[in-house]
Amino acid sequence: MMPALYGFWSIASKEILHIRRDITTLVFALVIPMGQLLMFGYAIDYDVRHVRTIIIDMDRSRESRDYIASLQNTQYLDVVRCTSAPDDAAEALRKNSARVAVIIPPDFARRFGTKNIPTVSVLLDGSDSQVAVPARSAFLRPAGADGSQAVQARINVLYNPQMKTQLYTIPGLVGVIMQLVTVSLTSFSLVREKEQGTLEQLMVSPVGRLGLMLGKLFPYAVLAIVELVVILLAGRIVFDVRIAGSFLLLLLLSLPFVVAALSIGLLISTIAQTQGQALQFTILTLLPSILLSGYIAPRETLPGPLYLLSNIFPVTYFIQIMRGVVVRGAGLADLLPSVVSLIILTIVLLALSTARFRKSIA
Amino acid sequence: MNAIELKSLTKRFGSFTAVDSLSFSVPKGTIFGFLGPNGSGKSTCIRMLCGLLLPTSGSATVNGHDIVKDSEGVKRSIGYMNQSFSLYRDLTAAENLNFFGSIYGLHGERLKKRMDDVIGLVGIQAYLDRPSGQLSGGWKQRLALAAALIHEPDLVFLDEPTAGIDPVARRELWDLLFELASAGKTLFVTTHYMDEAERCNEIAYIYMSKLMVRGTPNELKALPEVTPEGTRRIAIASSRAPNALSLLKKQPFALDTTLVEAEIHLMMPTQTEDAQVLAILREGGLTDAAIRPIEPSLEDVFVTITRRLAKQ
Repeated sequence: MMPALYGFWSIASKEILHIRRDITTLVFALVIPMGQLLMFGYAIDYDVRHVRTIIIDMDRSRESRDYIASLQNTQYLDVVRCTSAPDDAAEALRKNSARVAVIIPPDFARRFGTKNIPTVSVLLDGSDSQVAVPARSAFLRPAGADGSQAVQARINVLYNPQMKTQLYTIPGLVGVIMQLVTVSLTSFSLVREKEQGTLEQLMVSPVGRLGLMLGKLFPYAVLAIVELVVILLAGRIVFDVRIAGSFLLLLLLSLPFVVAALSIGLLISTIAQTQGQALQFTILTLLPSILLSGYIAPRETLPGPLYLLSNIFPVTYFIQIMRGVVVRGAGLADLLPSVVSLIILTIVLLALSTARFRKSIA
Repeated sequence: MNAIELKSLTKRFGSFTAVDSLSFSVPKGTIFGFLGPNGSGKSTCIRMLCGLLLPTSGSATVNGHDIVKDSEGVKRSIGYMNQSFSLYRDLTAAENLNFFGSIYGLHGERLKKRMDDVIGLVGIQAYLDRPSGQLSGGWKQRLALAAALIHEPDLVFLDEPTAGIDPVARRELWDLLFELASAGKTLFVTTHYMDEAERCNEIAYIYMSKLMVRGTPNELKALPEVTPEGTRRIAIASSRAPNALSLLKKQPFALDTTLVEAEIHLMMPTQTEDAQVLAILREGGLTDAAIRPIEPSLEDVFVTITRRLAKQ
């Protein structure tokens, strides 16, 4: 074995002993976020505006343009794209580049003034119920208020037709729980070695730095993956949340996220001197991860600076990936922007924390 | 052959010199006392000798391994026992030994044999399945010693191994150390207890990052700077020793006074007569005082050297 890696298995098996000795912490780490599911998941309703919308205008008439303008005026919807190809609608929703698609049929203008009421089809991304519900109201407004004739909207909710909150909450919760448990357990276990002087005892032994670091992190990485499976299983059994996409893809894409979370834990352990400090840092990273990541409220509701800030949390992208795969059945190609962002963040965090860790035990 | 050899070993942190050009050697098979006040650079020196810290200049070898070029070789050949209990409190005694054996590459039958050996040596058989955090101070230190010995190091660093444990446990730990030394191990011990320093084969005393003196306890006591020419030391026994001390401290001939086990230790010019001292005490109402000549203690040695330097 490489000298730097020396001692990996010894450290890893010792760590498993620590975990087995301290079941209480482990149980709490798992139970508390379950409480969050009950608390956060239901009652929160934000006034969501500016929902990304794609318009498929197959009529291209003055009437259709007026109608699009009237939709914009509600401020509920932001038109991000306007095309005439009907296939674009479903694709945009699956890729999450839009959450609402409005399809204006070719006979839209001709129906004005006739007995047939002009009708548009609306596709809503139900994977985010907090967006879907308010977006719906944009179409329910009496369109005749500005003197124009009423337009009927036939609304179709894609992906989550019953608009079930759990289908929205649980994929997000997976990311939050995995981050909470991974960050707190790894930072605690490393700071404890510092606090109790055992780190010094290890450093006078031939254990390599890399062996020490990886041996400490490995059991928690396994634990995080096990948790992912357990929560998804619980979601399936208790709330009937089924994974629409590939489970294997989900596992694969959760790996960079786990590494990112471990890196955050490692980073905290190099800053904190006591377990109390480690706890505070953990909360410090956890709160924005819950509030800004899109787990509770859509990121569209965030004011500008906070929206920018939300881009640097790995969990933001992981939640996008989770919702994509679990609810919309998205494939790797559909999720590429989120995946790339997540991987870049992970590499940055890993490099930063490893450098600091090497320095802290020198 | 020497277990440790230091050549002008120096460590600076910025403008602060923590270890200033230390040169001395530690012969194999000795109990070597490394003494000095807190903050004098002992820990920094030990950390360099254990391969944890690189020296700024100078060099040292430990068991023949260069501490800079071959810190891995150093680490494999030494044991280390810290003043604060640094094993895993949530793991049992046996699990701790098993873990520390495994990080030194021991496994299977060999590990089992080594565990049995060190368990037998420190006599911890009855507490193997107890979480080590629940052991008493004395047993914790025995367990720590067992862990430090699991890979059969020739040299063990013991940084204040008896700090905070009771006298009986302290005596028993020292009995263990003598046993190890007689088996050929070199023990590098730091301590603040003078009776422990007295038990070492050799002592190095460092102060303000520099080596002050080095030698056997008897050699140190015989140093001319400890009892300068023209002075002698006496012990005065009295039933009211504290009163006698405050009385004698005022006398011009009292060059150094201290109270040791209800006796006053006094350093004075050779020409000052015992009768002169007794007369002063009798005048002060202390009629039962008795005087005997004494050699300086190790404490006298360190106090004299430290004070002399502080004055300069």
